[in-house]
Amino acid sequence: MNIYRAAFAAGFGRAVRQPGDLAVRAGFYLLLLLTFAALWNAATAAQGGDIEGYTFAALVWYVVAAEGAVNATKPRLIEEIGDAIGSGLIAVEMLRPVSVVGFRLAAETGEALARVLAVVVPGAVVVLLAEGPPPSSAGALLAVPSLVLAFGCNLAGQHVFAASAFWVNDAKATWFLYQKFVFLLGGMLLPLEFLPGGLEFWARTLPFWTMAYAPARLLSGRAEPMLLLGQVVWLVALVAAALAVFGAGERRLQVAGG
Amino acid sequence: MAAIDVRHLSKTFTTGSRRRRGSIEAVRDISFSVAEGERLAYIGPNGAGKSTSIKMLTGILYPTDGDASVLGYVPWCERRALVRHIGTLFGQRSQLWSELPARRSLELLGTIYGLGDPASRIAELAELLEAAPLLDVPVRNLSLGQRMRCELAAAMLHEPRILFLDEPTIGLDLVAKQRFREAVMRLNSDRGTTIFLTSHDVADIEHVARRVIVINHGALIYDDKVSAMRRSLLRTKLVEVRFDEEPGPIDIEGVEVLKAAALGYKLTVDTARRPIRAVLDDLLDGYAVGDISVVDPPLERVISQIYETPR
Amino acid sequence: MKNALAVFRTATAEAAANRRSLGFQMAIMIANDVAWVGFWILFFRKVGEVRGWDANRMLVLFAILTTLGGIALGLFSNCRHVGRLAAGGELDHVLTLPVDPLAYTLTRKIEPIFLGDLAFGVVLFVLAGDLTVERTLLYLAASLCGAAVLIGFLVFGGSLTFFSRGRGEAGELGFQAILLLSSYPLEIFGGATKVLLFTAVPAAFVSGLPTRLVEDFDVVTAAVLVAAAAGFLGLGSFTFRLGLRRYTSGALWTRA
Repeated sequence: MNIYRAAFAAGFGRAVRQPGDLAVRAGFYLLLLLTFAALWNAATAAQGGDIEGYTFAALVWYVVAAEGAVNATKPRLIEEIGDAIGSGLIAVEMLRPVSVVGFRLAAETGEALARVLAVVVPGAVVVLLAEGPPPSSAGALLAVPSLVLAFGCNLAGQHVFAASAFWVNDAKATWFLYQKFVFLLGGMLLPLEFLPGGLEFWARTLPFWTMAYAPARLLSGRAEPMLLLGQVVWLVALVAAALAVFGAGERRLQVAGG
Repeated sequence: MAAIDVRHLSKTFTTGSRRRRGSIEAVRDISFSVAEGERLAYIGPNGAGKSTSIKMLTGILYPTDGDASVLGYVPWCERRALVRHIGTLFGQRSQLWSELPARRSLELLGTIYGLGDPASRIAELAELLEAAPLLDVPVRNLSLGQRMRCELAAAMLHEPRILFLDEPTIGLDLVAKQRFREAVMRLNSDRGTTIFLTSHDVADIEHVARRVIVINHGALIYDDKVSAMRRSLLRTKLVEVRFDEEPGPIDIEGVEVLKAAALGYKLTVDTARRPIRAVLDDLLDGYAVGDISVVDPPLERVISQIYETPR
Repeated sequence: MKNALAVFRTATAEAAANRRSLGFQMAIMIANDVAWVGFWILFFRKVGEVRGWDANRMLVLFAILTTLGGIALGLFSNCRHVGRLAAGGELDHVLTLPVDPLAYTLTRKIEPIFLGDLAFGVVLFVLAGDLTVERTLLYLAASLCGAAVLIGFLVFGGSLTFFSRGRGEAGELGFQAILLLSSYPLEIFGGATKVLLFTAVPAAFVSGLPTRLVEDFDVVTAAVLVAAAAGFLGLGSFTFRLGLRRYTSGALWTRA
């Protein structure tokens, strides 16, 4: 257990030691908030005040959590994992007496947490000053652990996706596709309530909603604890899947030789 | 008119973040002249300022202070006019497009330099550099040695009067280095191209240069002919002797035994104390010498001495 | 000009030589663009018209944006890398040639993956309907002007690296900012932000005005757009030239 804690701390430290990168991310995040605030302001005005029960303020807080959860992770993580597999770095990591996936997840979670603190918290403060507090304090309270669960699920999901690099050479470019799944089916760009029937069904069935929609829904004013339960269930499932796929991939490496 | 004329040239880089601003004096007040047709080696240890000097002379960097004139042009002011008459080869950076055959890069250069008949010029250089079979292979499939010969062709395509070579033999094996040096010598002897070579490989000096300038910590610490360097700075010669029978203790003035193995001895002679002729006479008279050879100490030792000498 | 064309032709040959996973990458890019189109269709389906924008107008914007993105980031891909080239000392070679350093650098590399955007943009414009000769010409002209603004802006941002000691992080933020802000309808933004979009982050000239030009042409908009294109190209070029005097050839990182 100590090794995972150390990995977590190392990941956190690594992110903190790159202030330039964090500053760029924070700047970009603020621009995102600005852009979406403008979009939803115009949209809610055109619709006469609210859309599917979301007011402008609710939508702004939705974006804070949705974009915050996704931007805490590196989109190119899948590419990095693919590179590590392709270059044989994974083979080196397999020599450690710990699970490759477990170690990586711990480190990446540390990094993500650092990013949330450096990027999302300032953004939330700006929104607080501009628009007032989130519509429901209970929801806001639940949103905090939900945010952590969200990037946990996201990281695990990315590892599952990236594990295809054990078998296929050009899996790296697929991070683009994964990102779009999170954007559309994960509720990052549009609350799931905005999707047409069939699409909404698939969005709620697949795990991507845990990565953006859950904390966003909570922060936008709906204190729905079942969301957290769903996230926990999916987190366990995704981590198990990541362990399984990576395990199979590592066995393949050992047989086929890097 | 000198081909290259440098007067009190200096370059200082400012470094560090807003909190810890520092500066690196890469080149400090250097002055020298190079005549057309000369073969000059410009050497120094890593970080001495060699590349910075060459980059100022080729117009890539602006100096902090001082003047220079290359073929009558001020490099950093009249760069585009100057580069038509000089060729450059940076050992660490390629001029060739790596995915394409070298020929393609050369043809593009032919267009850029406005050559009348690039094809025949390329053929001519290919023959001179023994690179004909290499030109139609994608550059990234060539070995480093093969690639460097193509780079040399690229640097010479427009018949420059001066060839600037910055660490050209770095990473090459011995054979490749030798071939490269021979190619450079041919260019100098056939066309009178001035050669300005930077290196930290001493063998480059021994085989290519007639004159050597040594730079260290940004300042010039030596400037003379290679032969003079050897003569003036080290007053020792190495004598290798094979005796016909056990010589016993060697007791000759000015001689020290460096290494003794059975009948083969290596001796050093302090020629300041005793002329080599006298030492040889003593050896041949007093001992049963089977075979003897007298060599200069390796240039490495000479250069190391120069680096360590405070100016 | 002759040199630039020769370099560009060679860059094309180089891009073609590395065809291995190109098709796959372009397909990913197109899938990415399709996803964004999907988002906008879903958005307008839910929200209806917003400040004069509907799904169709948004598709025209997106067609122009992907087209000019393909031109700027695909055909002149080094416009985005000026900061890295300056900080890393990778401009040495171009400075040893009797060519204009910026022109050579810009034409030197084609990034094939963005040609997927270019292809997508053209197809999307055709599909967005109301295809007339006039609209097509306006679309091409608007895309070229927008590409010029984007290239000029990116070269300007990258050239600032000559004057700072960084590796171009500010330039990276500028790149992401302009792409982000160009991807949304100009009219949703209010007062202060709108000023930003006409100046420091010229997204208005990249997508806002070009779309307006195609949908509701008027001479003033056209003139302003052309002036902006020339202006930003000029700014980028000027800053680059000035920056070359401060070029360190990577000496701060490699101690040559």
